[in-house]
Amino acid sequence: MTGNQLMFAIFGMLIIIFSILTVTSRRILRSAVFLLFVLVSTAGLYFMLNYQFLAAVQLTVYAGGIVVLIIFSILLTSHISEKFEVVGMKKQIFSGLAAIAGIILTISTILQTEFKATEVAAKEVDMEAIGLSLLNYGENGFVLPFEVISILLLAAMIAAIVIAKKGKTQKP
Amino acid sequence: MRLEDFLLMRHELLLTLIAIIILIAEIFTDDFKKQGIRPLSIILMAIVTIVGFLPAPTGTLFGGMYQATDMRLMMKNILNIGALIVFIQSASWLKSDDNQNKVSEFFLLLISTLIGMNFMISSGDFLMFYLGLELATIPIAALAAYDRYSNKSSEAGIKLILISALSSGILLYGISMIYGTVGSVYFDKVSVAYGATPLQIMSFIFFFTGMAFKISIVPFHLWTADVYEGAPVNVTSYLSVVSKGAAVFIFSIMLVTVFQNIAAMWKDVMWITAAITMTLGNLFAMRQNNLKRFLAFSSISQAGFIMLGIIGGSELGMAAVVYYILVYIFSNLGAFGVIAAISNASGGKENMSDYDGLYKTNPALSLTLTLALFSLAGIPPVAGFFGKFFLFTAVAEKGYWWLLTIAVLNTIISLYYYLLPVKAMFINKAETSIAYFKSDGWTKVGLIICVAGMVIVGFASVIFEYIRTLSFGL
Repeated sequence: MTGNQLMFAIFGMLIIIFSILTVTSRRILRSAVFLLFVLVSTAGLYFMLNYQFLAAVQLTVYAGGIVVLIIFSILLTSHISEKFEVVGMKKQIFSGLAAIAGIILTISTILQTEFKATEVAAKEVDMEAIGLSLLNYGENGFVLPFEVISILLLAAMIAAIVIAKKGKTQKP
Repeated sequence: MRLEDFLLMRHELLLTLIAIIILIAEIFTDDFKKQGIRPLSIILMAIVTIVGFLPAPTGTLFGGMYQATDMRLMMKNILNIGALIVFIQSASWLKSDDNQNKVSEFFLLLISTLIGMNFMISSGDFLMFYLGLELATIPIAALAAYDRYSNKSSEAGIKLILISALSSGILLYGISMIYGTVGSVYFDKVSVAYGATPLQIMSFIFFFTGMAFKISIVPFHLWTADVYEGAPVNVTSYLSVVSKGAAVFIFSIMLVTVFQNIAAMWKDVMWITAAITMTLGNLFAMRQNNLKRFLAFSSISQAGFIMLGIIGGSELGMAAVVYYILVYIFSNLGAFGVIAAISNASGGKENMSDYDGLYKTNPALSLTLTLALFSLAGIPPVAGFFGKFFLFTAVAEKGYWWLLTIAVLNTIISLYYYLLPVKAMFINKAETSIAYFKSDGWTKVGLIICVAGMVIVGFASVIFEYIRTLSFGL
C-alpha cells in the first residue's frame, strides 16, 4: 500500500465515521462539531488531489464559515442541554435496513464500473486560470452561473426577510 | 459575444429588470405610496409577458450553457402567462392588513423563481440546470411560510425546504455519477457518450428520483398534500401550476435529448410510474374534503397524465405535453382562483361541505369553478378535453395499449370526484351557505382570463398546430 492509498483510507474512514456520528448524535451541538470534522477531512482529500485552492476554500468557507454559522443558529434557537428523543426500535431497524440496502446497491454498482484514469499528470491549478474561467463566457467558462448565483443569494435574503418580518397586527 | 446576443436572453433579463424596479420602488416609497406596488408589479409582469411573444432570434450562448430555441421560448411564455394570472389573483389577498407589509417581497420572490425556471428551461448543461432548479424552489419555501402566524403555513414551508433539499441531494448524486462516467456536464456531450452501463443506469435512476420529487410523481408525492394545504392559496396555485410546469418542461426536454440513448429504459420506468401516479392520485383525491388537498391529489394524477405525452416521445407527444400544460394553467388557476376568492371573503372556508348551495348565493363563481373542474376532468366543450385527447393520441400512436386503457379508466374515476364539488354547489341544500359577496376588480380580471383561456385554447386549433410546428427542433 503506497502512502497515498494509506492517506486516502484514513481520510475516507474519518469521513464515514464522523458522518455517521453527525446524524446519530442526540445532542445537536455535538452533531455540528462532528460535521466540522467531516468537512476538514474532505479538505484533506482535496489536498491529496493536489487541488490546494479548493482545499483552502473548503477549509475557510465550509469548515470555518458555515460551521460557525450553524453553531450560532443552534445557540440562538435551542438549549445546549437539550437532547433529541430516542427513535423507536422499529424505525431504527427499518431505516437501518433501507440504508444498508442502498449502500450495497450503490457500492456493487460502482465496483462494476471501470473508471478511466486521467492521463494528464496532476498539477497545481493556478489562481489566474480559476479567475479567468470565472469570467469567461465561452465554453467551460462560468460567468453565467456566477451571475445566476448572485440572483439566488438576493432571493434567499429576501426570503429570510419574508419569514422574519413582523406584521403590523401582532397575533399571539 | 456581441451586445445583440443578449436579445436571446430577453426573458431572464426583463424579469431581472422588473425585479430591480420593484426593489427600488420598495426602498424609496413610504407606507402610503406602497399601495402602488401591487398594480406596478402586475403591469410590469403583463408587459414582460407581452414582450415575450414578440419574435426573437434563437441560438446558443456561453459556449452552449444557454440555449434558446423556439420551443423553449414558447415554454417560457406559457410560464409567464401562468405567473401573470397568479399575480392578478393575489392582488386582493395581498391587500389585507396581515399581508400588506410584505407585498413587494411576495412579488420579488415570485419573479426570482420565475427567473430560475427560465434559466432552467434554457439550460444547456447540468450546472445551469441545477442552479435554475434551486433558484426556482428555495424562494417558494419562504412563500409557503408567508402566513407566519399560522402553524400550518410554517409547517408547509419547512416541509417544502426539507423535501427540496433531500431531492436536490439525490439529484446531485445522480449528476455527479453522470459526470464521473462521461466527463462532461454539457448536454450535447452527455447525450452522445451516455450508454447503458450499470452506473449510468443508476445515475439516471437517481436523477429521475430527484425530478420525481419536484413533479410529485407517486411514490415521491407524500409532501404534496401537506404543503398545498398549509401554504396560502395563491402560493399553492403557483406551486401546482407554474413550478410543476417548469419542471415538466425541462424534464421532457432532457429525456428526449440528453437521455435519448437509453430511451427504451426510461420509457419502461415512466410507464410504471405514470400508471401508479394516475391511479393513486385519483384514489386519494376521492377521499378529500379540504379543497386544497383535493386539488393537490388531483394535480398528482394530472402529472401522471402529462407523463403519457413524454412516454409517447414523438413530436406529437412533446406538443401534447406543452399544450396540456397551457390548458392546465388556465383550468387549475381558475379553480384555485375561485377557492382563493371564497377563502378570502369567508374567513378561510376551504372545505367541500362549506360549498353547499353556493350556486344560489354566488352563481358566477360557481359557474367558473364548474368550468375549471370540467376542464381538469376533460369534458368536451372546454380545453381540457382536447389536451387529454392529444396526450392519449400520442401514446396510442406508439402502441402503448395497456397504458392507454389504464389512463382512460382513470379519466372515468376522475370524472366522479371532479363532479363532487359541482354537486355540492348545485344540488346539495344548505341551511347557511356562504353569503353573497362582491369580488374586487383584480379577482374578476384573473378569473375572466382563466375562463377565456379555457374556452379559446380549446377551440382555436391554431395554437396546437403552432406548438406542433415548434416541437421538431426542440
